[in-house]
Amino acid sequence: MKFNRFWAATAVAGLLISGLIFTGPAAAGETTIKIGNIIPLSGPSASVGQQGKNAREMAVEEINAAGGIKSLGGAKLEMLYADSESKPERGVSEAERLINTEKVNVLTGCWNSAVTYPTTAVAERYGVPFIVPVSVSDKITEQGFKNVFRIAAKDSWWTRDQFAFLKDMQTEFNTPVKKLAFVYENGDWGKGMAGQWKMLAEKDGYEVVLDEPYPSTATDLSPVVQKIRRSRADVLLLVSNAADAILLTNTLAEYKVRLKAIVATGGGHADPFFIKAVGKNARYLFDIVEWEADINKPGAKETNAKYKAKYGYNLTGEAVDAYVSMYVIKDALERAASFDKDAIRKALAETNLTSGPGMIVGYDAVQFDNSGQNSHASPVIVQINDAGNGLERITVWPKSARRAGYTPVFPKP
Amino acid sequence: MIYLIEDTINGILMGSIYGLTALGLTIIFGVLKVVNFAHGTLLMVSMYAAYWTVSLSGLHPYLALVIVVPVMYVFGYYLQDIVIKPIFKAEKDVREPSTVIIVTTGVWYVLDNLTLMVFGPQYRSLPDNPLQGKMIELGEMFISVPKLWGAITAVATAYAVYYFFQKTRTGRAIRACSLDRDAASLSGINQYKIYNMAFGLGTAVTGIAAVTLVPFYNTFPSVGVLFDIKGFIIVVLGGLGSIPGAIIGGIIVGIIESVGPQFMTATWTEAIVYGLFLLVLFVKPSGLFGVKYDW
Repeated sequence: MKFNRFWAATAVAGLLISGLIFTGPAAAGETTIKIGNIIPLSGPSASVGQQGKNAREMAVEEINAAGGIKSLGGAKLEMLYADSESKPERGVSEAERLINTEKVNVLTGCWNSAVTYPTTAVAERYGVPFIVPVSVSDKITEQGFKNVFRIAAKDSWWTRDQFAFLKDMQTEFNTPVKKLAFVYENGDWGKGMAGQWKMLAEKDGYEVVLDEPYPSTATDLSPVVQKIRRSRADVLLLVSNAADAILLTNTLAEYKVRLKAIVATGGGHADPFFIKAVGKNARYLFDIVEWEADINKPGAKETNAKYKAKYGYNLTGEAVDAYVSMYVIKDALERAASFDKDAIRKALAETNLTSGPGMIVGYDAVQFDNSGQNSHASPVIVQINDAGNGLERITVWPKSARRAGYTPVFPKP
Repeated sequence: MIYLIEDTINGILMGSIYGLTALGLTIIFGVLKVVNFAHGTLLMVSMYAAYWTVSLSGLHPYLALVIVVPVMYVFGYYLQDIVIKPIFKAEKDVREPSTVIIVTTGVWYVLDNLTLMVFGPQYRSLPDNPLQGKMIELGEMFISVPKLWGAITAVATAYAVYYFFQKTRTGRAIRACSLDRDAASLSGINQYKIYNMAFGLGTAVTGIAAVTLVPFYNTFPSVGVLFDIKGFIIVVLGGLGSIPGAIIGGIIVGIIESVGPQFMTATWTEAIVYGLFLLVLFVKPSGLFGVKYDW
């Protein structure tokens, strides 16, 4: 017993000493910058994790091929991946490992908000800058942390942008909207969004004529559609899962419900099979997404084509955020001209990225506010319509990202 | 007022279709005394059969009946004969063999996942057809044409099944089996053949329900689960084993679902349906139309 305790104590002491010795010189002679990425590579979110990995790989290959970080003598970016399996505890332990054993300079991750939330706390404790490409939960940037920087728009901004879009449409097409109807699935997501809609509607002076949750498992939505029809709303805002999105869209068309616009919130309406299942009934529907392949930004089409040739499918909103993150890191490193994590953190906080291959997003700049949130981030709004190639999703808002030559149809004929 | 009439009509139409989806369940229970947990799955299989028949042939959706009904009868007949009968025989001394319930649950999981593997998770709805999205417009009032067809089919099917059980020789043999298996066997009825036929009949009726649903509803691998729970409630409400009970039970649920949301949010109507279900169980456990002795 005594013997064991002695050896254990020695081992711990030895580790501590070696830790002290090796952290110092390790930072000096480096020629690569280590970026640790904690993403779900197995488990339920593995497919999105893989997309994020692909996008990161592509960006880093481009950066290294273009000469790496010039202010650091052409230092290359080195990627280290850790699998979170979508589990918070795995995220935390992998962050500890990447920081203490691998000595990463920067961390990124973790896609699942539930993993990102505790993992960012680890990075904050060690003072390692942590870039969050996508994890939309509001609270991630509301912890008062200094080392957390998020690229994607947060939860509450989606609803904010739906209302900003509504306002812009009214001015652009000179059609007033007064009465809103909220119809949403009866889960955390739907109820959360509807709660924010209510606040925004009050602020913007809309009249809410219908506020209706419904069970996603409903086999008949005509009672709900009847309520929408009788409410005589101008605009209908929806949060739906897959089967109910199809059923609602078809039933709305059957009952010839007259609305100026329908604005959906991704989910079932963004499902790849949605347009196929409802056909022409989906026409003129608006939907809010992170990014769409037709976005009117220089380089977007080429980047998407390159990605598709490499991996076989289009870039998604999540993948674009991961891609942009790498360019944000590169930009910060160039300005920091240092391997020191505090210098990198400071440079990240001062980010104002407006051009370069990374800027294929729908907004004009990446800049972080005091909480570390990218203050320019905003989702885009698409309209489903036939612009000559059958029904497709066409980016319409913000105006700077609108597909060239397309005029949105508002109000709905 | 006009709204109330419109909603009641929609409730009756949709409710009759719910009743039709539950009819197969009540037939199978009435004879085999087994709650068939694979019922929703049989509906799902029938919907795929109807979907593919209509979308490949491009015919009027109701012409799919000619193919779907015999196919589903055979499917049900042999499902009972090959999968369920051996368990039934092993438990022949028990009046309500519970291991069969486990077997039907197995059938449910296997078929649902097999469909997911073969056809993928997509939601499929029929391409343009003569019924899709059609509405009868009476001033402000809208009546869905595919639902009207479905409701008429439901009532006609219930009558036909009822007539079959009351008047035909086979029907009487099925009822004899359901009343007393041993006595029926002593009178020269092959009870296992009767079970196969009853299961086939229940599945064929489910096939009819699928044909009425396909013109306005999506087909996907887990569609059965949505109608399954509803089916159980309807059958208990109307009385397990009762044919008119299934249709009336369906109409009650349909009206609550359709009229209720005009006075409250749609999520509350589910609570009312389940509340009524509990109430019926407390007050009249045999259901509204159930008798103490089956049939």
